Amino acid sequence: MKKLVKIEVDKNLYFLNQINNFLDPTYIYLPTSNKEFKENDYIYKNMLIEENISSISGSIKSIKNSILQIKNDYKENSVSNKIKRNIKNKEDLLNLLEEFHLLSLKDKIENKDITHLIVSAIDEECYSLKEFMILANFYSDIASTLNTLLKTFNIKEGIIATKNTSEASIKNIKSILGTYPQIKLSLVPNQYLISREVYLCSYLNMPLDSTLILTMQDVLDITNALKGKYTLDTIITISGNNLGKSLIINVRIGTLLKEVINKFIEIKENDYDIYVNGLLQGYKVSNFNVIITKDIHTIVINKKIEVFQDECINCGACIKICPLNINVKKCFIEKRYSKKCIGCGLCNYICPANLPLKEVVKDGAYEEKNN
Amino acid sequence: MKKKTTRSLVITNIIFLVPLIIYGVFKNGYLLYARNLIPFYLIFKPIYLTIISVIIKFTFDLIINHRFSINYNLLYMVLVSMIMPYNINFIIYTLTLTVIYFLTTLLESKIKFNKVCLMALIIILVNSFFYKFTYLSPLETKFNFAFSFLDLLMGRSIGSISSTSIFFSLLAYTLLINSYYYKKDMPLAINLTFLGLAFITYLFNHDLSFLLNSEIIFASIFIAPLPKYSPYKVKDQVLSGVLIGLITFIIALLFNNTISIYLAIFLVSLLGNLKKDGKKKQKI
Repeated sequence: MKKLVKIEVDKNLYFLNQINNFLDPTYIYLPTSNKEFKENDYIYKNMLIEENISSISGSIKSIKNSILQIKNDYKENSVSNKIKRNIKNKEDLLNLLEEFHLLSLKDKIENKDITHLIVSAIDEECYSLKEFMILANFYSDIASTLNTLLKTFNIKEGIIATKNTSEASIKNIKSILGTYPQIKLSLVPNQYLISREVYLCSYLNMPLDSTLILTMQDVLDITNALKGKYTLDTIITISGNNLGKSLIINVRIGTLLKEVINKFIEIKENDYDIYVNGLLQGYKVSNFNVIITKDIHTIVINKKIEVFQDECINCGACIKICPLNINVKKCFIEKRYSKKCIGCGLCNYICPANLPLKEVVKDGAYEEKNN
Repeated sequence: MKKKTTRSLVITNIIFLVPLIIYGVFKNGYLLYARNLIPFYLIFKPIYLTIISVIIKFTFDLIINHRFSINYNLLYMVLVSMIMPYNINFIIYTLTLTVIYFLTTLLESKIKFNKVCLMALIIILVNSFFYKFTYLSPLETKFNFAFSFLDLLMGRSIGSISSTSIFFSLLAYTLLINSYYYKKDMPLAINLTFLGLAFITYLFNHDLSFLLNSEIIFASIFIAPLPKYSPYKVKDQVLSGVLIGLITFIIALLFNNTISIYLAIFLVSLLGNLKKDGKKKQKI
């Protein structure tokens, strides 16, 4: 297995260990292919619209490109009752996940014979603090849910893995470890990609096949489901060298990024680049008309810099750094993609000639996401 | 890990070459002046050669691209200036380098070869039409020296104008191996192969200067691993390193110890080309 690397980050970026809330957006945007929706239809909070849950209540203002624009009436009229759930075994948990439309999580658990459980508070992207902030702020709920999961899967010990640099979360979790002796805290080095299953299991000496790795967001979703609630919010980190200060904001899913930026963010210079989901694995967008979904965790707003692309100098650093040993240089020259590519972006990062290697090697990922 | 650009890689490499140039000024400038063998202005001959190279490179930049750029060509030009024999004539050097730089730049897109070695070898060849082919400085022409191990390590040996300090070359290597971009296996493969073979001859003739050749160490550290002209896979780097070491030994034994490494690097870079062509044909 390849040695992981530590990515150098901008040390001038300072993050406050607190979450700002933006839970009253004027509009939210939800995709739908259902043509029965009409303008002025009323949408309740917690209402299921295909695979998405409405995070506010209000009427449909417009429908464009199969996206509903819902105007918030600030009444929070909800369709569900908050009834606490009890789970005793794996089947109960799977039913709960299905009920709360946590289907990807259900798939992850359903097909696995689980003997070990790791909850990861490791953010993969350098400028993302989502997982870290969930642990730092909801540590009590996380530990309680983890305890429930351990009983459900009949596992003796659960591990919370966090970076050894995450002081705040280490301090918080240590304060509750006495209450849950079956939960252990594991500190992992601050290395890029360490949160990936294969590396984390290897570092913690756990079997890959039977270890379930959940993210903090997964556990928070289960916590909410156990309380009878849908997860309607998501935590995003907004940072970059073109901002007055970097912020961590809890926003309603479906909110337009533009609205968040207008309310919270002070932008220094008018010429800037916007990256969604980080500089390494993310993609560049041209404006703030980005709908915040559950998958979005990071927005980086950097001063515009002119990147000069040189010709390939044949240094081989892209091959040396690729965690999957892909011959990146060959793929780039022959303009073909590799099925193995995980889109980690290390080749782009290391390339001294600034060539867009990831965009070629990872099957058209750049264009797809931009569309 | 910090990201580097082509520009910063070139600058870092040139910084590592500066101590060697300064040592060149001391050995092939100051020491000769102190013995009244050269006039004062020639103390800085190594620097003049480097400046001429850089001016030629930037002039071409200005003519072709209408702007100066710091790229690998700058490093190549600095390296060429460092591996010239002491008796190189300024005019021959300037004219030949200008022509050969232009021609190699044109040829480069069609066939890959180690530009530094080819340029250096052609300039040395042209110079030898007008002056005697020798790497001796005026001091070394007058006296015979028996170099000790320390002499050779510090750079008092016979060699190019700014590349004789094995100490500074090795110091640069110990720093360069920390760079993610440096092909550190190649110098090791070259030197281990050459030293292994040269040690056998040393057992017979006890010629330490053949064994500890500053040119081989300098070229293996700075010229052979130049990214553009060396393989990008570690296995191929080791393989071509061994090949360079072997060819260097044969040429050094049969012909000339000083230019053997440049010839070997050039030949192996050409061989790499043939290998690529062969693969392309197989695909078709």
